[in-house]
Amino acid sequence: MDISEAPAVNSRRRGNPVSRILSSIRDGNGFDILLVAAPLVFLVLLAGLPLIYNVLMSFQQVDMFTLGAWIRPFAGFDNYISVISQPEFPLVVRNTIIFVVGSMAGQFVLGFALALFFAQNFPGAATIRGLFLVSWVMPGLVVGAIWSWILAGDFGVLNAILRSLGLIEAAIFWKSDPNFSIWAVTIANIWLGLAFNMLLLSVGLAAIPKELYEAAALDGANAWKRFLTITLPMMRPTIGAVLSLGLIGTLQQFDLFPAITEGGPANSSTVAQYWAWQMSFTLYDFARGATISVMMFVLVLFASILYVRSTRSEVRG
Amino acid sequence: MDKATLKLGGLLLAATMMTAPATAQTIVKVWSIDGTNQPGVSDTLSKEFNERGGDIQIEYRSIPFDELVNEALRAFATGNAPDIISVDNPDFALFSSRGAFLDITDRVANSDVIDPANYFQGPLNSVTWDGKLFGVPKYTDTIALFYNKDLFEAAGIAEPPKTWDELLETARALNDPANNVYGITFSARAGEEGTFQFLPWIQMSGGSYGEVNGPGAVRALEIWKTMVDERLASQDVLSLGQWDSTGTFNTGNAAMAISGPWELNRMVEDAQFDWAVALLPTDTDGGERSSALGGFNYGIFATTQNPDAAFEVLEFFVSQDERMFPEFSSLPARNDIVLPETGVPLKDAALQVFQEQLQYAQPRGPHPEWQKISKAIYDAMQAALTGQQTPQQALDQAQQTIAGILG
Repeated sequence: MDISEAPAVNSRRRGNPVSRILSSIRDGNGFDILLVAAPLVFLVLLAGLPLIYNVLMSFQQVDMFTLGAWIRPFAGFDNYISVISQPEFPLVVRNTIIFVVGSMAGQFVLGFALALFFAQNFPGAATIRGLFLVSWVMPGLVVGAIWSWILAGDFGVLNAILRSLGLIEAAIFWKSDPNFSIWAVTIANIWLGLAFNMLLLSVGLAAIPKELYEAAALDGANAWKRFLTITLPMMRPTIGAVLSLGLIGTLQQFDLFPAITEGGPANSSTVAQYWAWQMSFTLYDFARGATISVMMFVLVLFASILYVRSTRSEVRG
Repeated sequence: MDKATLKLGGLLLAATMMTAPATAQTIVKVWSIDGTNQPGVSDTLSKEFNERGGDIQIEYRSIPFDELVNEALRAFATGNAPDIISVDNPDFALFSSRGAFLDITDRVANSDVIDPANYFQGPLNSVTWDGKLFGVPKYTDTIALFYNKDLFEAAGIAEPPKTWDELLETARALNDPANNVYGITFSARAGEEGTFQFLPWIQMSGGSYGEVNGPGAVRALEIWKTMVDERLASQDVLSLGQWDSTGTFNTGNAAMAISGPWELNRMVEDAQFDWAVALLPTDTDGGERSSALGGFNYGIFATTQNPDAAFEVLEFFVSQDERMFPEFSSLPARNDIVLPETGVPLKDAALQVFQEQLQYAQPRGPHPEWQKISKAIYDAMQAALTGQQTPQQALDQAQQTIAGILG
């Protein structure tokens, strides 16, 4: 009796769609799908929708009354044309390239050098390496304010140091001289991103098996040769990831600009991300602001693809 | 024990319920920049209004100058705008021209407290759009020339400069790099402050915001450029705002400063020397005078749920206008208020000059796209001062941009 009833109950349970779903969540594929769906919904709501909204806005006419709406008068490529035909456009492109290439090169080269240095395992290496993280923990606005004082023209610390070393005669107006302003922000950004680069590269270095170096040393490879033939190839995925993250981080960097130069003088330190903000939030031209962000998004997308590819080979390796 | 605690808790609960007001309070949200640098008008008055304990209570929020309009636009777009906001006068038309502010023409006509006839024309123009009144001027200000009398005396200069050429000569005479003293300081920042400081020079030469490339305007920009090129002013005037720029005057690192009456309280405390204020030098001796019209206006957002309560708060603010100068060093935008002596001689003397200068102050705009006009002007100023364009080229380009905006 008990035995004959059991299958019937079972089949009744299978027949009910709700309980079938419930049971699949308890012990089937449903649980996996749920786990994937939760972050996916989160991503679509918090990253996907704003992104689409932004792209949409770049093809529309926007003013303060339609700011919160989806449907607005269509503008075609007018916003794109007007952004490109702004007199400051070439300058902003130039500044963005200097800022991105300068920051990434500085952060990476110095970060790699520091990572190699601290990989030498001298007494206190780990502690000092930890101290470097202070720069990474600090908010951009605070870093900007500090560098703003350091770089001040008349009473700045950097000028005082350079002057006492006899390197300069007159004060360099880092923030107000169009020849230096973009470099002033770049220097601050290198300092800000240095620790992050060093940390990731240190992790990569630690993952390289020591036996490789020992074997190479036995074969008579000198330090430079070991670096070129072991360290660099083994670090390839890490370097790819660090550089892509560096590109994304640099294109995201905003806080330093209002804190140090405000894009000035005469737009000589305006980069794309600061320009987009200026369009939207000081000139209240939201459509053109969105247009510049879309242009930047294409760049970041490119970096993200590189990043995903480099981390993929990391998993395989 | 447990029972006793419960009883006590119940009693407390009853007590709190009893002290709750019988009638619901109306909350009026007020936003302004006051209270970010030093105690200001709106934060102080809001606190006093609340302490009177009426049915209306103010929820005050202080927002830094640079974020105020942006924050207000975002709030308005999402339906969270405050009831009352005080914005810089050139930003007012952005809201009033689009009907984002409440038309208060009729309310003002029926008010015992607010009378448009009591206001100076310049400030009143900035709250008017299409013949209707969308707000009330809060306070006004303008800029003039502060000068360090001790340094003037030491250099044997008796009078403050009267013309642009004299200003340049005086700056040269007082410039003393060995002692870290610049001849003059001002703000040529890439922002509204830069336009605020430079536009009066265009106006003194007979131009206006719609006509920025006349020969006089070009000459004005050339003089500014000379001051920066010859290091009579720190090159950092290109990035310093007026508050920081005048700070270098207060510490004795600049012999002259162009700034406004908002500096007076701080200067009385900080400046360890004798100083005074003079009218802005003019193009030629006895030539046309001009200055910038600064100051803030109150507006009530059209989206307010409690227009009556908001207007009542506005009336309270206006009723305190007489305290504007003695307590806050701001000049009421009204012609019916006689400013009392403060008892601080330096401040009283300065006030006289600022009031005279105010007669020549001209508003920026009103124009809904003022920010773009302003950017054209400060971009030109910065391009010329950094040598990227000649003053003529820079102002020609600005004129072209502005003509496009004005249509």
